[in-house]
Amino acid sequence: MATVTQIGPGAYRVEDDGKQVVVFVAGTAEDRWAFCNGEIYREGERHDEGRPKGGHYKDGGHYELTSPMPATVVKVLVAPGQAVRHGDTLIVLEAMKMELPIRAPSDAVVQAVNCREGELVQPERTLVELA
Amino acid sequence: MIKRLLIANRGEIAVRIIRACQELGVESVAVYSEADARAPHVNAADRAVLIGPAPASDSYLSTARLLDAARTSGADAIHPGYGFLSENAAFAAACEQSGVVFVGPPSKVIAQMGSKIAARRLMQSAGVPVVPGETPQDQSDAGVAAALTRVGVPALVKASAGGGGKGMRRVDDESLATEAIQMARREAESAFGDGTLYVEQVIERPRHVEVQIFADAQDHVVHLFERECSVQRRHQKVIEESPSIVVTPKLRTRMTDAAIQAARACGYRNAGTVEFLVDVSGGRGAERFYFLEMNTRLQVEHPVTEQVTGLDIVRAQILVASGEPLPWVSPWITQRGHAIEARIYAEDPSRGFLPQAGRLLLYREPRLPGVRIDSGVEEGGDVPVHYDPLLAKVIASAATRDEATTRLVCALRAFPILGVQTNIPFLLRILEHPRFRSGEIDTGFLDREGASLAAATQVEIPVVVRAALDAAPRAAAASPQPLAPSPRSDPWEALTSWRP
Repeated sequence: MATVTQIGPGAYRVEDDGKQVVVFVAGTAEDRWAFCNGEIYREGERHDEGRPKGGHYKDGGHYELTSPMPATVVKVLVAPGQAVRHGDTLIVLEAMKMELPIRAPSDAVVQAVNCREGELVQPERTLVELA
Repeated sequence: MIKRLLIANRGEIAVRIIRACQELGVESVAVYSEADARAPHVNAADRAVLIGPAPASDSYLSTARLLDAARTSGADAIHPGYGFLSENAAFAAACEQSGVVFVGPPSKVIAQMGSKIAARRLMQSAGVPVVPGETPQDQSDAGVAAALTRVGVPALVKASAGGGGKGMRRVDDESLATEAIQMARREAESAFGDGTLYVEQVIERPRHVEVQIFADAQDHVVHLFERECSVQRRHQKVIEESPSIVVTPKLRTRMTDAAIQAARACGYRNAGTVEFLVDVSGGRGAERFYFLEMNTRLQVEHPVTEQVTGLDIVRAQILVASGEPLPWVSPWITQRGHAIEARIYAEDPSRGFLPQAGRLLLYREPRLPGVRIDSGVEEGGDVPVHYDPLLAKVIASAATRDEATTRLVCALRAFPILGVQTNIPFLLRILEHPRFRSGEIDTGFLDREGASLAAATQVEIPVVVRAALDAAPRAAAASPQPLAPSPRSDPWEALTSWRP
């Protein structure tokens, strides 16, 4: 059984089986973070994907491409009704001085474009709807 | 001597320059955007001026606002730091015209070296080897693509005004050239305001070795040895060290001679860096090196040179900009021991290295022997979305490369940062990689090994961490709760009934 002693704000000494480590904890009830020996742990928020999320399916087979992070829209390369091929760049975002192309995940037709050039978008914000 | 220095930058480098001002007795003026009102660089300075809204183009990249701030605060000099306007010749020229000393080389040198194309030509004529390539007269998509065909893939499309990997794309397949050209141009236009491109042959598996040089107005030019920065991710340096494990005394002499020649050829002043690609495939004694570019500013990685030489580069920058001769003479400059730096970025390696913004709920810098930390953030502060996500640099020094690397590992293991994802676990995996340890690295090392090193941070929560999470209050508070004062924390309070 591990014994925990708080040693400072957000800092805990944990003793388990005679050995001890210091663990740091912060965050809200929904999104908690811990740091121990160079590794970062998160609890609450899904953190299981290897790549930026960037989109999800909606009812009726629509696919919504979303912004993976807060960013500025620098280029809108498509319009509603346009047919696009897998891998085509639809939107170019810029964040922290790097460009992030948002590409079509498959061959599709653009249903709607929900952003405009120069706009600041928040994470998970829908940029383009495909069908 | 400069009396009041305005620092046209933010983050760790602004803090670093302010510290040098304090040591020299020079008054410091910080500038800040609305997003940085409570940033450490603002608190550290003697004066601070709000220069505009959060977007860099309206604040840290605005020549007019910066010169205004210099005027209203009575600053007689401006230090540009790195990034932002540091390599912008028009900005340096605007400073010169308004009678403000620019801490750096003359604007015409920045213009010449800032045009990577002009720099290549000048270096060729000075006898410094350059990477084979071509600059198309025709700057249209088709014109650059044609140059790319002539140079042959794999090739790099690079911004003439570029630096730090921005406005640069590698092309391995000619059918993807147009998109790469357009992206490089757009990135270059937005980051540097100049979309001119050139094409360079790819040197396979090169090592990135650069030489720190310094020149004063009295015509002294010295070098402060090399730094190796081969651990890069998409041309963004991640780990830097000095000395380089592949630089033999003989190669060192050749490279530092070439760097001094390069500095003399362009009439350089102040601190600068000559970057080279080193091809070691020919074996010991047959190394080849090529001029890559010259950085006409202070480098992010300057601390590793400061640690091995024991010299203060930023202090010397201010002295030399004031017209004083270099405080060092070359035979006295030596390279001692080993220093290695890791850059801590707010980014998520497991999600394509996406830059992260948010609040630093917990941020505790370690205090360890032989470890220097240059940072520009603090616990409770916000990492804004608008700027480069560099949080801190950790520099470890020791007698040998191995000891210095181990020190750096220990420091990173003891550096908790929570609330914003960082690359610390990724840095640790690099530093513990057998190929890094043996020194068999090249600029493509991270692009090849990066995916496995960047794999999602621990999903399984160990028992001890679980225990701490369970013990910690699940408060919705945004920051860790302070410790409740112990009832008997003050011994004098326990003595209420005692009288002498």
